Amino acid sequence: MIFEHEIPEGSRLYFASSAKEKRNIEQKASQLLEKSGFLEIVTPLFSYQQHQSIGDDKELISVNDAQNHNMSIRADTTIDAVRIITKRLGRNTTHRRWFYIQPVYRYPSFEQNQIGAEMIASDDLKEALDMTLLILEKLDQQPLLQISNIKIPQLLSKSLQIPLDDFKHMRIDKLLSLNIEWLTELIYLQDLEQIDRVMQLVPKEIRAELAKIKELAMASSYRHSIIAPLYYTQMLYYDELYFRLVKDNSTYAQGGRYINEGVVSVGFAIYTDILIEEKEDNT
Amino acid sequence: MLTIALPKGRIAQDTLEIFERVFEKKFIFDDRKLILESGDFKFLLVRNQDVATYVYHQAADIGVVGLDTLEEQGLDVIRLLDLKQGYCKVSIGMRAGEKLDFSKPELKVATKMVNITRSYFASKAVSADIIKLYGSIELAPLVGLADMIVDVVQTGATMKQNGLEVVEDILESTTHLIANKNSYFFKKSEILDLYEKINGAI
Repeated sequence: MIFEHEIPEGSRLYFASSAKEKRNIEQKASQLLEKSGFLEIVTPLFSYQQHQSIGDDKELISVNDAQNHNMSIRADTTIDAVRIITKRLGRNTTHRRWFYIQPVYRYPSFEQNQIGAEMIASDDLKEALDMTLLILEKLDQQPLLQISNIKIPQLLSKSLQIPLDDFKHMRIDKLLSLNIEWLTELIYLQDLEQIDRVMQLVPKEIRAELAKIKELAMASSYRHSIIAPLYYTQMLYYDELYFRLVKDNSTYAQGGRYINEGVVSVGFAIYTDILIEEKEDNT
Repeated sequence: MLTIALPKGRIAQDTLEIFERVFEKKFIFDDRKLILESGDFKFLLVRNQDVATYVYHQAADIGVVGLDTLEEQGLDVIRLLDLKQGYCKVSIGMRAGEKLDFSKPELKVATKMVNITRSYFASKAVSADIIKLYGSIELAPLVGLADMIVDVVQTGATMKQNGLEVVEDILESTTHLIANKNSYFFKKSEILDLYEKINGAI
């Protein structure tokens, strides 16, 4: 039995001060993004391509179109936004910096409000990171910055025959039990100051990927940061340099590099619900 | 400061003994208290099934929990170290003399470990009607509620006393040190230092 006052578990309800805070966050973010040359896009709720973004099909809320083709309710915006801009709007615009402010939905009733931005045909993750940090700074947030490189666990998985799941779930005991000195050093690596020493120990292909982490970490003036070379995110499209901004048990934002239709791009997403929650907790 | 969730009972005692050996000091909970703060550690006494939940939600940075409970809950936490204590198995039990026959169109299985059971029978491509029970699992085959049970077995004595026997083992379990994912990255040096010390002591 469902009572009149019930709303589905995982759905979002904002009213009065929390709704005002949501509007305030989105307004500040959109002003900053527009000032930096981003244009806004609102993408359709229904999509044919969501399986390209989401690792686990079970998370998609599936429906069918009039011809009985499978569709899903938007569970992620990046791939759809880039596809629409490059394919559907290809003749209408050549603009390559876009942002969106809209929720995503996961099965059965999880709802997440996001502020996202894509820099199509750009590999400048430093700019995406700076934009994310600028927005968070204007919202009085200073979470911990984690810089990772998704290629490192992928390369290790292949060369050491370790399932990627072991990185996804951080099976530290299993990785340390391999007794590989340079792998142990990689596991322990956390500070930028240690990276040069570890780079001398690791195989050449890993060294090149660590160098990218070093370059991004050194280019950023944000000092509240760590590096986590073995971190593996469950998103399908981030395939190389990656960052996330974390406080306590919450991820405030994440971003990274990806390749879509052969084009290298970078993007990020800021999670509005977490920001509202914290603001409400503090008042 | 690291917050450590321990399951009430024997495992908490065994774990605190390891900490006492490693840090050469006593860690004793005051009578009926659920929190013990000592030095760089805050220990929490929680129910066994709740340890991973405390760690997942970062109410604790690390915890000690049996692999069977961890597998059943499927929460995304970091497995740091096998403490090689609290050994048990998750096994299939049937009435003595009966044989496990995967060729049957459907098997009725009583268990309190629904997820482990579902995943095991799915891996064997066998259709299983899983009946969730909260205790006295051994009773189910005796009264015709189920063809078999999936339960935690230490010595097998309880099954034997109830006319059952283990026909197949699904999982071997020991207690594991687990960590919250964000805590691991924020407090990596503290957590890995503790990992090294405990690993050297077991």
